[in-house]
Formats: sequence, structure tokens, C-alpha cells
Amino acid sequence: MAKTILIVDDSESIREVVNFTLQNAGFDVIAAGNGKEAQVFLDGRNIDLVITDLHMPEMDGIELIKYIRATAGYARVPILFLTTESQLAKKIEAKDAGATGWIIKPFVPAKLLAAIGKVIR
Amino acid sequence: METDSYISFKLGEEFFAISVSKVLNIQQVVKITKVPTAPEYMKGVINLRGTVLPIIDIRMKFGMEPIEYKRDTVILVLNVQINNETVDTGILVDSVKEVFEITKEELLPPPGMGAKYKNKFIEAMYKTNDEQFVMILDIDKVFSSEDLVILQETADSEEGAKAEKIE
Amino acid sequence: MDNFQKKFLEEASDLISRLEQSLLELEQNMNDPDLVDGVFRIMHSLKGGGGMFGFENVSNYTHKLENLYDLVRQKKLKVNREILDITFESADHITSMLNDDGSQTSQIVANEAILQRRIDAILSGKPSEKEEVGHIVETTTDSDEVVATYYIKVKPFESIQNNGTNPFFLIDELVGLGPHKVNVFYNGIPDLENFVFDKTYISWEIILATEQGEQAIQDVFIFVEDDCEVKVEKIADADIFKFDGIEPLLQCQHDFSFDIAKIKSLAETTISLEKAKKEQNKLENAGDEHIKKFSRESTISGIRVDSEKIDTLMNLVSELITTQAGLNLYAENNKSPELISIAESLENISRQLRDTAFSITLIPIDYLVMRFRRLIRDLSREVGKEIAFEARGAETELDKTLIEGITEPLMHILRNSIDHGIETAEERVAKGKNPEGKIILQAYYSGSQVVIAVTDDGKGMDLAKIRKKAIDKGLIKPDAQLSAKETTDLIFVPGFSTSDKVTSISGRGVGMDVVKRKVSDIRGTVSVSTEKDEGTTITIKLPLTLSIIDGMLVRIYDTDYIIPLSVIDTIFAVEHEKIKSAYNNIINIEGVQYPFYYLREEFGIEEDIPEKEEIIMVKYEDKRIGIVVDSITGEYQAVLKPLGKLYRQQDIFSGASILGDGTVALVLDTHKVINQFTKYNEI
Repeated sequence: MAKTILIVDDSESIREVVNFTLQNAGFDVIAAGNGKEAQVFLDGRNIDLVITDLHMPEMDGIELIKYIRATAGYARVPILFLTTESQLAKKIEAKDAGATGWIIKPFVPAKLLAAIGKVIR
Repeated sequence: METDSYISFKLGEEFFAISVSKVLNIQQVVKITKVPTAPEYMKGVINLRGTVLPIIDIRMKFGMEPIEYKRDTVILVLNVQINNETVDTGILVDSVKEVFEITKEELLPPPGMGAKYKNKFIEAMYKTNDEQFVMILDIDKVFSSEDLVILQETADSEEGAKAEKIE
Repeated sequence: MDNFQKKFLEEASDLISRLEQSLLELEQNMNDPDLVDGVFRIMHSLKGGGGMFGFENVSNYTHKLENLYDLVRQKKLKVNREILDITFESADHITSMLNDDGSQTSQIVANEAILQRRIDAILSGKPSEKEEVGHIVETTTDSDEVVATYYIKVKPFESIQNNGTNPFFLIDELVGLGPHKVNVFYNGIPDLENFVFDKTYISWEIILATEQGEQAIQDVFIFVEDDCEVKVEKIADADIFKFDGIEPLLQCQHDFSFDIAKIKSLAETTISLEKAKKEQNKLENAGDEHIKKFSRESTISGIRVDSEKIDTLMNLVSELITTQAGLNLYAENNKSPELISIAESLENISRQLRDTAFSITLIPIDYLVMRFRRLIRDLSREVGKEIAFEARGAETELDKTLIEGITEPLMHILRNSIDHGIETAEERVAKGKNPEGKIILQAYYSGSQVVIAVTDDGKGMDLAKIRKKAIDKGLIKPDAQLSAKETTDLIFVPGFSTSDKVTSISGRGVGMDVVKRKVSDIRGTVSVSTEKDEGTTITIKLPLTLSIIDGMLVRIYDTDYIIPLSVIDTIFAVEHEKIKSAYNNIINIEGVQYPFYYLREEFGIEEDIPEKEEIIMVKYEDKRIGIVVDSITGEYQAVLKPLGKLYRQQDIFSGASILGDGTVALVLDTHKVINQFTKYNEI
């Protein structure tokens, strides 16, 4: 059974490139443009991993992570967030909110897949 | 006394000879691979110890009926000079008669006007003990000729053809 | 990725107009933190996307701006006129970077330097820990770390699973780095009544040998640095798993630690022993090393072999392959599986021997070029012209026989170019050309052929003059309708010479017809293309090799033919009726119309026509053209033998080959077959 990954990012190009990479690697991918959309996808679906950007309009990544952790059935689902080198300070905040790990932008497909490999099999 | 060796062979009812120095060997007839689009007297090619040897029906070149393969039919493998290039070629002959040695003095001049064959191809003539005339061929000239048939083309040849025997 | 890039560009221009909008609003309300956040987010998106989609310059630049706005967000800096101006200008700057096709790069760089200075001025006025403005730090990986063995102790906190981390995945990832032994400690597991399902009580000890370095080990635990204890210790600068006597020390004994002290001491001893051994070997081998080095140097450029020996080798290889074919036939007829298998493996070896022997006979065209260079220099001096000679693809290799065969034709072509092609310096200047003429010799592989083209930038051929000469010489009728190509092809007709006057170089009477004949002697073709005042190109195409081809053995009536595999596209079986009823030599196979040639008809063979025949689709330029034969025998490795001078006219056969049973098969040159028969039936 293919694992399902939810990708949340307001940048369509990032969503597309992540989508492309993950689908090629054999994952099912659901893409959301912001935290609010992501909330909708969480309901009634079996999501194995969430990848979210931190800076987004409407609801930012930290809030989304907190929301996911509070959602029934999502207490243990791995969450990776996208960040840049300069924003690594954010990672403490994100981890406190419940994130499992992070992916530093810009990334190449191998780097993305390596990070995912740390949290799901 | 200086002598030269010749090998004599039969084409139809006539006898010809070629200098032994031109003959590489005598070969039994094997399957000849026909080369399409070539003139009919070029019978095709055979495998001669790993090389490809073209085979000529010399009878047709002399205006006779195409050769019929019989028990005595053999291939004479010749080394000929064609336009300054050396070429190995096989000719089909009805039978090989003998190898003989003769002195220059025994050679007769080629037939003159009115002969059946263009005399540039006949080096000399020779009369055997059994009164048989043998035409000694200049084989290089035979092969260098662009002519399909080396019969005399003029009225002479018709006369020659009428006179069945050269003598 | 091009599609992603396009998408990013659309998105980026959208982001920039949003940026401008936000800036206008910010101008009205300089202290609104939401507006600052908005600008920051846009910078962030541009930076992330720029880096991922090949706009590193955008990424680097927005990074600087992002830093600026981060300070504003942290209230260490206040938005002011200058910051807004810089940001507005930055929007334009980013737009021009995104749209740059390379033509404006220098302007962009200059512009960036100015903006950079202004940003730096603002940043330097403020105390800030973010002084390292600028570069995105590249994560460097030490790729040439040497192998080392590490002892790793991993003790997760009980709560490690809270954030969705599965510690087993991490151990899995870790042991993927190299040879390893793992000890698991279950002794932290409490009594059942105190056991909490989603807490982690297990810990691990790992001995791991890897060449990826300590950093790679640390990276495994990067997400859980704060959720577990990880201890990494290097215990040896070698892969201890390779050491004798290490096995007992590495027995997995759960809940008991590895005896690291013992392992370390064994490793130390072994390493120092090996070192000593190496030293000794080095001393012993010092002499050998010299000899090795010397022999390497002296053999590096290869050995010179008498070309007669190479000829002998090639003849023997050819004979071997012919004999091989005989063996294959005998083995098949005897239906002995052992013999067939021996014949097959022997065939495999002969093939390899053939290929190796072939490569020996190849000589780079450079060998000729060196001779030509001299010739061209001398000749151009003699005729008082300035000519530069350039050779391209001189490393292209050709069969020794081909090199020998091509030398004279090429020499002749070059002489023609020097004598008739290139104009004098005065003529060239008058035409507005460079006074120095140019001749280019170009060689390259094209499929199973080698192409050698000689191009000059001279006056080209005068078609009218060629035509007139051909008429004068009686080669064509005065009213003949000829295309430009047909006209230029007249130069290959025997007895044609374009030169008005006799010169010492190309002389008279030795025309391009000789070139053509010499080239076709080595199974090549020659063609010409010319443009008035632009120059002339003579192109020679040669087969890669002369003597052995991989072919398909086919049969028509009682004769075997070989068609080179390299030209065969597909083969279809087809009813004779379908061939007979085909209109205008066009046959429909699987919905495609193919022109075809019925070889029986072209060859005048009417005996024993089979009901089912085979149509072989051969490649002809960009077309597929059918050649119909009776039957297919199978693939065949053919030693090509010349058909001989007497069959020079029959150039639809590139040669003959002797089959296993001693009979002769004819090798078809399908290109020539099609050319020859097309004269009668236009495709």
C-alpha cells in the first residue's frame, strides 16, 4: 500500500515539484495551498506524513502543526516542515509544536526523499 | 633448344592452348554462385580455397553455345593481366587435353584475314601429330577486350563461320 | 523541470506584483507588523523557489532582503523611506533577473552591487548578530573520508515517539551506512503495570564501520537531537570487521555492552602490525616499483607492429570466422548438443577476437592530416595563395586499408581546392572575402559509416561552365535538362576536367572520375555540393570496416545473399499473391504503404517461386523500402571478400562471403540496389 503524504505550501511551484518527486517515488500525494485547506484534507483520510511550509498566509505552519497534533488520530503522524537555512531557529518552535523533522529549502529530490526516509518506511 | 609449355583444351569441337605460365591450376566444377545482372558469359563465382573466383564461360565469349556441364568439364584457373591489373579467373572448358612442349620454330603464325576469330587474340597456331590445329590464345588480350564476343565482327567473320574448319 | 520553471516564473511575477502592492500599503502605514510579515513572506517564497528552479541569483539576493525584513520583524529595525526605496528597486531588480536571457547580466550585476551597498549601509548601522549577510551556506559533505569504525550509543528518551518519530527507523538508517553489529538493551522495560504503550524503553549500542564520517552518523539523529542521548566515538581508523580475531568480540549479546576496551586494543595492534608489514613491503618492492613504473611508461603509447603482421592476423581471423561457420553448420547437422554448445562458445570467442583484431587495424585520420598539412602549405605557396587548413575529428579511426585507399583521392580533392577552388588573395578581397582562403577537412562517424568532408570557401563551381564543357565533350546533349545536382555530378564522369589550363598540381585528364573510382574501390561513395562564391564541399562516405560484417543470410532460388544487419529495419512474411498483385511496386503491410523491390524480377529468376516470401524492410535515407527474397536463413557473420574486378559493374553487390558449406553468398549493398532499380521505377 502506497503511503499517503499531505503537502502544504502556498507556492504552487513548490507543491508541484514536491508532488512530482513524491509520486515518482511511489507515494500518494495530496496537496494543499494553505493550513485551512490542509485541515479539510485531514478529515476522514489516512495520511501517513504531512509536509508543510512554515510561512503561509491564512494559517501558518506552526499553527497547522499544533492543529494536526490536536486532531484525533494524528498524534503520532510524522510532520516535516520546510524551512530555509537562515530560519533554522524556527525549528525549536516547530518541534515544540509537535513537528518530527524538517527539510531545508532549496532541496533536491534526493534530499527530500532522505528526510522522508527518516520518518516513514 | 628452347621450349615453352602449353596446356591444350577443348571448346566444342575445337582445340585451344594457353601458356602453362598463365595457368594456376585445374579445378573440378563445384556449385557456381550466379551473380545477377552480370552478362551471361560471366557464370558467377566459386570459392577457391577461401578466395572468390569469377568463372567465365569462355565458349560464349567465342560465340559458341553455352557450356554444358559434363564429366570432363573443368575449370582452368588462370592468372590474367587485365588493363595492367592481375586478376585470377576461372574459365570453363569442355576438357583438358594435354600439356605439351614445343619450340618456337614449331609455332605457326596466326591465321590471316578471313579467320573465324579476331587474330589479335590468337598468339600462334600449332599442328599436333594427329594433324589437329591448336590455337594458342593470348589470354590477356581475350580478357582485356570489351567485346562481348570475340568473333570477327565484319563480313569476314561470316565467311569464317561458313568455313567450318580453319584450314 | 522546464515546466516547473515556467510555473515558478508565473508565480514569481505574481509575487512581485503582490510585493509592490504591500509596499504601497506599507508606505502608508510603516508600523503595521502584518504588512511587514507579508513582505517577508514574499521574499521567502521568492528565495525558496529561486533556489529550486535555477534562479540562484534571485535566491541569493532575496536572502539579503529577507534578512533586512527579519530585523524589522524582530523590531530591531524600523521601516523607513530608504528601506522602502530599496525594496521597490529590488522588485524591479528581481524582475530583470527573472527575465534575463543572458544579455543583461552585466547590468544586473552592477545594479545588484549598488543595492547591496545600500542594504549593507542600513545593516551596518544596526547592531546585529546577522552580520554574515549574503551567501546561502552550502552543506558540504566530506566525500573522501576514509573508512573508520565508530561506537555509537543511542538512548532515546521515553517520550521520543511523541512527535511522530519512530526510533527504529533511525537505527535502520544508521546501519545502512556500513558494516555493523547492534546490541539491543531491553533492560529499561518496566514491569507490566508500569508499562506505557507509546513510551520508548529500549536503547542500542552499535559498532559501525563507514567511510561517510562522523557527521553522517550525527545527521541520522538530526531530528531527535533533543529527544535522545546519542554518543558517537571513533574507535579505529579502519574497518575492524575485516580484522582477524574480531568476531568473538562482536558477538551480539543483548543487554550486555560490547567490550570496547578489548575491541580498541585489538584494533590498535592489528593496525600497527599492518603498518609495519606495509613498510617492509614497500622496501622490498622498491626495486619492483621502479621496473613497474618504467614498463608502464614504455608501453603506454602502445607497440609498433609490422603492418604485414597485422595483415596476416586479419587474414587468420577471417579464416577462423569462415571455419567457425563451417563448424556451426556441422554441429547443427549433427544435432549434438555438446558440439553445438562448444561451437557456440567458440563463436563467442571468435567474435571477440575479431573485434579486438579489428581495433588493432584502426588508424586515426590524424595520420593523414599531418601529411596533408605539409602538402597544402607547399602547394599554396607554389600557386601564390594564402590558405589555412583546419582538420576536425582527426581522431576518427579508420581501417588501415581504408586509410591507404583514401589517401590518394583526398590528396586529389585537396589539390583541386587549392588549384581551382580557392581564389587568389586579390580576387578574394575584391569579393569582400578574407584574403586567406580556408580548407576544412572534417571526419566523423555516421551510423556504420565514416564521413570525410573537404570544404573550401573558394569560388565554388560554375554550373554553366560545367554544362558547356560536358556538351563540348559530348557527355550530354546540348538540350539536356539537368538539375543542379545532376550538373555537378558531371564532374565524376570519366574524361571530365574542369580546369581550363594545365597546372602542375591537378594536371589534366586526372579528374574527379578517378576520385570516384578509387573511392568506390573501397566501397565508398563521393558526392559534391557547391555554391557560387561560397565554396565547395566534397563528401566521401566509407564503410566502417572492409572485411567483416554482421549480416542476415537470405535465399533466392538457389543462391544465398547477405544483407548487412545494420540496414535492416523489420522483416515481414508475405504471400506471393500479394506481391504479384501489388500495383506500382507499393505494398500495404499493417496499414503502411511501402515501396518494394522484387529481387526475383530484377534478377530475372522465374524458377520455383515460393507461395510465401519474405519482405525485408531496409533503411534508405529516412524511408523504409522493402526487398523481397524467398526465405530467411538467419543471422550470419560474414567475412567480406571482394567480388573481383570482373564484377565491378555489378556494384549492387559489395562483395561475397564463403559460407560454412564452402559455397559463396553474395553481399547486397541495399543502397545501391535501390538506387539502381529506382532508375526504372521511380519511388
